[in-house]
Amino acid sequence: MIRAFLRDRIPLGRAPSMMAGGASFAHVFGTVLVFLLGIQALTGVALSAFYSPSTTDAWASVAYIQDQAAWGWLVRGIHYHGGTALVIIAGLHLLQTAISGAYKQPREVVWWLGVVLLVLLIAWSITGYWLRWDQAGYWASQVEIGIAAGTPVAGRAIRALALGGNEPGNLTLTRAYALHVIALPALVTLLTVFHIWLARRHGTTPTKVANTAVRRWPAQTVKDVIAMAIVFVVLLSVVIVQHGTDLAPPADPTTAYDARPLWPVRWLFELRVLAGGLEQLAAMAAPAIVGGFLLALPLLDHGTERRPMRRKLWLGALAGLFALIGALTVASFARDANDPELAKRLAKAEVLANRARKLAVANGVPVTGALDVYKTPRMWKARSLFATRCANCHDATSKERKGPVIAPGHGDRHWLTKFLQAPSDDAFWGKTKLAKTDAAMKPVELPASDLADLVELLYAESGAEGIDAAKRERGLKVFESACTDCHSREEGVAGASGPALAGLGSRDHYTSLISNPKSALHMGADHSEMPRFDRELTIVERDALAEYLVWLRTATEQDLRALGPL
Amino acid sequence: MADNDPDRRKFLKVATCALGGGVGLVAAVPVLRFVVDPATRTTVTTPGEPLDLGNVDRFRVGAPPRRVEVIAPMVKDGWTSARDVVLGAAWIRRTEPTKIEALSAVCPHLGCAIGWEGKDFLCPCHDSRFSVTGEKMSGPSERGLDPLPVQIKNGRLQLTWVRYRTGSSSREPA
Repeated sequence: MIRAFLRDRIPLGRAPSMMAGGASFAHVFGTVLVFLLGIQALTGVALSAFYSPSTTDAWASVAYIQDQAAWGWLVRGIHYHGGTALVIIAGLHLLQTAISGAYKQPREVVWWLGVVLLVLLIAWSITGYWLRWDQAGYWASQVEIGIAAGTPVAGRAIRALALGGNEPGNLTLTRAYALHVIALPALVTLLTVFHIWLARRHGTTPTKVANTAVRRWPAQTVKDVIAMAIVFVVLLSVVIVQHGTDLAPPADPTTAYDARPLWPVRWLFELRVLAGGLEQLAAMAAPAIVGGFLLALPLLDHGTERRPMRRKLWLGALAGLFALIGALTVASFARDANDPELAKRLAKAEVLANRARKLAVANGVPVTGALDVYKTPRMWKARSLFATRCANCHDATSKERKGPVIAPGHGDRHWLTKFLQAPSDDAFWGKTKLAKTDAAMKPVELPASDLADLVELLYAESGAEGIDAAKRERGLKVFESACTDCHSREEGVAGASGPALAGLGSRDHYTSLISNPKSALHMGADHSEMPRFDRELTIVERDALAEYLVWLRTATEQDLRALGPL
Repeated sequence: MADNDPDRRKFLKVATCALGGGVGLVAAVPVLRFVVDPATRTTVTTPGEPLDLGNVDRFRVGAPPRRVEVIAPMVKDGWTSARDVVLGAAWIRRTEPTKIEALSAVCPHLGCAIGWEGKDFLCPCHDSRFSVTGEKMSGPSERGLDPLPVQIKNGRLQLTWVRYRTGSSSREPA
């Protein structure tokens, strides 16, 4: 009996070369889908020649495709939006088939293959979205795997299989990659070939009752090609308008991101919101109900009647289902569009994404991972250390400043002059504990030329270039008469009551000062509130800060801004 | 002819299926076992010992929760190993000079990263809200935020990183 059933439905004879009912635009969907699959294969193979499935490289390789490889954005855009087109047109194909009653006996198997293919297409796009390993793809994968992990009984096993282990990592990506570029394409191709082979053997379901059979070529083919051209033009337009497609910042397991699923399953996201406490049930039951209904449709709507008006019940149910899914999808996008807080967070993420992509182009992505791309600007390490460890006491804008302001020009001739004239000015020692005591340095009162000579001498200690030797020579005499009561210029010798000035403003001097400001060579144990950093920071970190301070001496505010944000 | 001998035909059918099936099985079993291998082991190692989060003075009493990246000195991920890998984040709050509380930034609902919204924590994926102490206020999460074990040792804050199972009301390691 099963054999007889299958013999009718899987006829092994020759396919009819005539199309019953004549050529029609109603029959173009299948051909357009094959065309799109071809485009996906072509762009997909090209993309796979660039893509690198590892947690450290995935985002970097996608950013490279998008921003550096010739036409990379176009190929990536066609692949991304081509996936969208596939799902949309597969949906239309399904609707057309349903309306014309083409799933009816003996074409049920063709329909079932089609439904399975639609599900596979959606799974295909979801696995593709993960591969970006940007914030959007990464968090979508985490949530989707999280939902799958909620499956009764098998949940843990599904999670481990999908992740390829216990945590998201390299094996998560290699698996998603294997699925996306090998397993799913192979399966879809196999089922598609079977689907078409069967459909051809059964012949098209006539759209008109009158018998006007024509040859497929060229009457139908010309319509197919027109439809392909229209779809391709629309696809290209979208790709060009969007310059490919977006790329969020690199995956960051520490930073909140408004993850949203890819649009074909967006209706489930909205359903979860509406389902409240029953969300897990909704996430599992809804797709099962929709899939089950589609598979059962040829059995529910049986009989030979094909006219849509005579099949109101089942076509109505199908239309209702599609309308509901459409409404949920629209509602979800509308909710996000009307959320000003979300818009702010997304704008922030976009700024971050643009920065990461620019840095990736300019500096390359470190092999340690895409997140380290943020650390590639010059002196990033020192600046971030300064921001977290120094700025509170030394930044001009800090409300809790306790020490001298450190800003561009710190330690240059102008700065030294101003400092000598008023050491306890607010920008210098004014905020320190020292300034309020007798030990504070007194303003240096000297004729302008003597002061300039002294400044040249002190400035020369930093090892800076462009020193006026004559001025420095004269400055030495000024120093001897005005400063030596408290200060020493001799290497490694502390002054009587002030810091040693040997090498003042040099990288070594700063490293030593940062390491232990309470040393007798620097501020002394009683005069400084600055903590010692030799136990807090590594020598490499202290040296990086020292290098930064030396750089600041000749830098301007503009130079600092040009280094970019942290 | 022997070809028409029903017994012979039956034998050939059975033999063909047995041989073909056997070859298929021998090929399939190792492949299947190989493919599920990662699911049976710890592919990404996370250290079980307390991790250094820096000087405890960074956290001031009464200040709002502060996000700190939890960095493992060494992590193996499949065939690679890397130093200083960011495992995730914790929200740290110093309630008293000697008391520090840490909450995992992993949303207990489905594992997104939560953010501090000025008054409470928000998971932007499905809008679960949590109070400053981590109790669930609204949204689909079935439990509050997960506290992480912390200790102060020689003036430094140490935290033990644990990833809990998401999507359940009970708190058990994933």
